[in-house]
Amino acid sequence: MGQNKYSEEKLIRPPEKVMRLDRMGSSHQTRLSFMRSLARRMSNEKWKFKCLRRDIDDNGFGVSVYAVNTTKRTYSLIAFTQDIPPNKRTDRVIAEVWDATFSLFDGIPTQKDIDYLALNTPKQEGGRFRPSELVLARANKSLRLFEHVISSLAKGNQPDIKLLSSVGYLMRTTAVYGSGKFGCADRGKIANREECKGAFQIELLAVYLIRWFTIDLVEYIAKKRGGNKSTKLDPSISQSLGIGNSTGLGMAPFLLKHPLLVHNLIMAKETALARVRAIKTPNNETIDSFTKSLERVSQHLSEWVVDDNMQTDRINCLKDEVKSLINWSSGESVFNNYYPWNSIYEHAEDYYSLECQEIIVSLIIEPHGYLVDDLADTMFSESIPKINVKMEISDLKKIIKIYYNWAINIDFTKPKSQYHFWYYSEDKLEPRFGSRKNDSGSDQEMPLAIGRDVNDLNEVLLNNKDDILVGQFVLENPQFRHIIRRIQNTLQAPYSEIQDNLLDESMMPLNLLRFKLAFFGASKFDPKSNLWTRISMYQGAPMPENLSADGFDSWYFPITPKL
Amino acid sequence: MGNEKLTISLNEVLFFFTRAGFGVNAPIGVAEDFARSNIWIAENGFDPCLCSLESLKSLDNKISSLSVQFKENNFYCPKDRYLSSLIASVVAIDRINLDTEDSELILKNVDYPILVIAAMGANNCNNLQVFWRDENNNEYLVRFNSSDSWELLSSNQAPIELSKGADMIIRPINVRTNEPRNIIHKKYTTSKEKGKILQGGVEVGENWPGIYDFFSRCLVKSTAESRAMGAGAGLVDTD
Repeated sequence: MGQNKYSEEKLIRPPEKVMRLDRMGSSHQTRLSFMRSLARRMSNEKWKFKCLRRDIDDNGFGVSVYAVNTTKRTYSLIAFTQDIPPNKRTDRVIAEVWDATFSLFDGIPTQKDIDYLALNTPKQEGGRFRPSELVLARANKSLRLFEHVISSLAKGNQPDIKLLSSVGYLMRTTAVYGSGKFGCADRGKIANREECKGAFQIELLAVYLIRWFTIDLVEYIAKKRGGNKSTKLDPSISQSLGIGNSTGLGMAPFLLKHPLLVHNLIMAKETALARVRAIKTPNNETIDSFTKSLERVSQHLSEWVVDDNMQTDRINCLKDEVKSLINWSSGESVFNNYYPWNSIYEHAEDYYSLECQEIIVSLIIEPHGYLVDDLADTMFSESIPKINVKMEISDLKKIIKIYYNWAINIDFTKPKSQYHFWYYSEDKLEPRFGSRKNDSGSDQEMPLAIGRDVNDLNEVLLNNKDDILVGQFVLENPQFRHIIRRIQNTLQAPYSEIQDNLLDESMMPLNLLRFKLAFFGASKFDPKSNLWTRISMYQGAPMPENLSADGFDSWYFPITPKL
Repeated sequence: MGNEKLTISLNEVLFFFTRAGFGVNAPIGVAEDFARSNIWIAENGFDPCLCSLESLKSLDNKISSLSVQFKENNFYCPKDRYLSSLIASVVAIDRINLDTEDSELILKNVDYPILVIAAMGANNCNNLQVFWRDENNNEYLVRFNSSDSWELLSSNQAPIELSKGADMIIRPINVRTNEPRNIIHKKYTTSKEKGKILQGGVEVGENWPGIYDFFSRCLVKSTAESRAMGAGAGLVDTD
């Protein structure tokens, strides 16, 4: 007996559909996104949050320490704030000063630790860190919002909710480093801790604490300025404020250098989608949640306003498509038939844009926490791909034919196919995306040209005997060692490879950034060029004091609160 | 990066050593394995810069070569040079992983044997032993007893990291092999040493700037035009 066409295995989307740049660049957060799963853990395990030190002046400049007690450990965010010249406030990696700099400390820091970090954390990449520091980060103020919120609160008023909504955060991080960067703790130090097992959990804990710090900071300054007249932010406004982030090219090499992790992340999301599509008869609660979520996402889209023309067009299209889906799903009585979630997904695939298809993926997964939340525990990888020297060349050729058809069909002799190259600049090792035509340095190209390297290998393999072993082949052709290892890994981890040419003239790194940021749980993507984007993180997430409140987990696609 | 003693992370070993290997024109896949070997060296409490800077310099100065051939269980460099430990280590591991019936494997005239040992450790080549007598007539025997423990028997106190120029003989651990003269015996448990490194970091000595110099060859000089093309370029805060 064959499998039912509605079985999970049949419904899972194949890598050639999922791993395309245009779809990846249309990704949205899901309930499996890292911020969501971290917030659930904080709530379930009843983590305790406390400000341990606030040694700052009336303008908020100085040092503060914010701690979180998990079930077994304490982590502390040490925040240094300073006054900086406005013209030095830039999002770039090559910036040299920031409004606020942070270290996440493993435990509670002593004065000696704080003294050491006071000399290093504000220097960021120019400082040196120790295994006691888990994360290094920095943030700049949103100038429009920061002062407005303080002056409003100082006078005893709540800030303008429309203005808040147009930005969404008080500060914007411009880098969050973990995993051994600049001497910080290696992932190996924390990888076996339950709360750190999932991808980027410790980095996103730091970001959550930074968000809390920004809100605490404005309330403190307002109190100093306004005295008894001052007030605190309305809790619903605090919750609606996230923490901003600017993300550039550094994320792109990461995706290519961690193929097993990428596979595991996507496998989890695709499995979740397939599980939901395989539901024959939904329960009423999930239907209600989904119906409400369509209204919620409509409001979210109306509040997602960006300068970028292309993204604006996509948002406008999305608004129409969501409206259309609302009509279709009520008019067609889709929920009176079997497999309604699958019908909704297939309808989206047939009629709507990629951006809409992916938002619907998020929305149909959302009400099914009971069915998919366990998958969050699989979203990490500690293993390292190894070369299999016993494989015959004939088998290697087969893998290339099946999984790299996209690569072997590209004509790399055309200049447009190798138009770009990726490199590290000597300027603070800033990753850059150059053009061979205009920029020097292609000799120092980063080894990220997966499609081209597979194509080159394939040409050589065509002239080799099928029955020789990979071990013998790499002895004679060591230049293909890295790509063979990668190809072999793809057999075990088919979602590990982006199935597009990353050197092509039309390549938009933004697609890679958005893909990864969606896994983080980011929202309100605000592209500033093809190379970088601003986003909002933790917008709508419960504040520490509300982590146990009813509905604490319902902060997907954040919307402006009604006061 | 100054010349003072520095503590780096294992992730930095991976990042900088991969590109340092690439900087002396080793194929990227070989350079990746070179960096993994250096992680194992660091995890066992040694300074990875000590041997690796010499091996990179030797390759860069064409005293060693990546050219390798295999004949009758012998890997050797067909040129009149040392066999670079960068390539010797990967071909040895590949050969071991083929599970052939070789009674022994010989790597001729390897420049820095510790890197082959490190590759074996990093790839869990258990139940094997390696003997060599270097060009200073120092003898070493390394036994890989399990994936987590290994022992070093040497004829003197000279640092194993600097042992240079040797024919290395790899055999199953149960094959009788002569032990070094005036035996000095040390045992290592990798997980124990690694635990200390994860808490304290990898101390690197005066050779670190040399590694960084090779790494720097992978960096592209910045120009006004390329600065203007970076992510985030051309914008101060506007939000």
